[in-house]
Amino acid sequence: MKTSYTRDDTKDLFAQLRDTGDPEIRATLAHLHLPLVEYLAKRFRDRGEPLDDLIQVGSVGLLKAIDRFDLGRGVEFSTYATPTIVGELKRYFRDKGWAIRVPRRLQELSLRLNKVVASLTQQLGRSPTVAEIAKHAGVSEEDVLEALESGQAYSTTSLDAPSGSEDDDSPMRLDRIGEDDIALDNLEYFASLAPLIAELPERERTILFLRFFRGMTQSRIADHVGISQMHVSRLLTRILEFLRRGMDNGDASF
Amino acid sequence: MDTPTVTLRVPPLADHVALLRTVVSGLAARRDYTLEQVDDLRMAVEEAAVLLLRNGQGSPLELNATVEPEELCVELSTDIAGPDAVVDPTSFSWMILEALTDDLSTTVQGRRASLKLVKHRQPPTTSEGQG
Repeated sequence: MKTSYTRDDTKDLFAQLRDTGDPEIRATLAHLHLPLVEYLAKRFRDRGEPLDDLIQVGSVGLLKAIDRFDLGRGVEFSTYATPTIVGELKRYFRDKGWAIRVPRRLQELSLRLNKVVASLTQQLGRSPTVAEIAKHAGVSEEDVLEALESGQAYSTTSLDAPSGSEDDDSPMRLDRIGEDDIALDNLEYFASLAPLIAELPERERTILFLRFFRGMTQSRIADHVGISQMHVSRLLTRILEFLRRGMDNGDASF
Repeated sequence: MDTPTVTLRVPPLADHVALLRTVVSGLAARRDYTLEQVDDLRMAVEEAAVLLLRNGQGSPLELNATVEPEELCVELSTDIAGPDAVVDPTSFSWMILEALTDDLSTTVQGRRASLKLVKHRQPPTTSEGQG
């Protein structure tokens, strides 16, 4: 069996994947087409989200495309995958669209701080203080606080309506990152919460477990999942909101 | 240095929880808490406030924050209907609060329920949080 592939091998790889279902082939296909994701993600770069986050989002689209691609249709995979990846990116922006009440000045500041926080975290080897962020960004501490608060003001659409088709094979795949028995035991323990948690997209579920069951810091989770710390923060806030609302509807307590 | 105390009393409505959150974030930020710690506190205040509102009787929600040199202590309280605790230590809420704080306690005295959240200031030289 070949050990290195190029994009010219795409058809062969798909044929193999359909025959064997080998996850390694799936990963190889994903890897080969990552440049397509990067290319498409860059088209959304001027909207202020970190490129890494966009590539992450686009990769989700790529995986969906890989799972759904039908060789028999006679189209190139890249032709088939492009709208799926772009769709995923568009949905990301739509879902996390700013709530209307956040003034543009704060939106821009919040997006800029995202970068400042990332570079300071890197530089200091820890989460920066608000004073440090303010100094680096050349704004007041009040501005930083205001922007951080407003950064949480994303709409919660995507968590409100996680459709079943989003991640089809989504029983707890925590094994993938080595989160095993402990988390699952705990989950059973909170039986009333389990159905709600099961509704969460896989990444959100992972973040929830790492933060609250494993006590991992936001920065470490950010590294682990491959998104920015501020993105982790926003997701955590939204996850808790989603669970609270779900419990309210279910007339139970956590 | 004195230990300044900040007190805030708001109507028992979800709308006002943001105000409590902002006050606590502001206090922590000015004491040079790291961004992640400020964020933890913000989420903990939200969770605690929601718990009290759920069990509350319509009387105001009160916040008392004490700023110690190396820790910030935030106590949230309100009047509740019965003598039962507002949060069960085996619940998910409690687990969340524990993950977000360094010290946590809850008391019910008469009809007054309170939740106390303590966050230590992380020395800026520390490179790693709790694992």
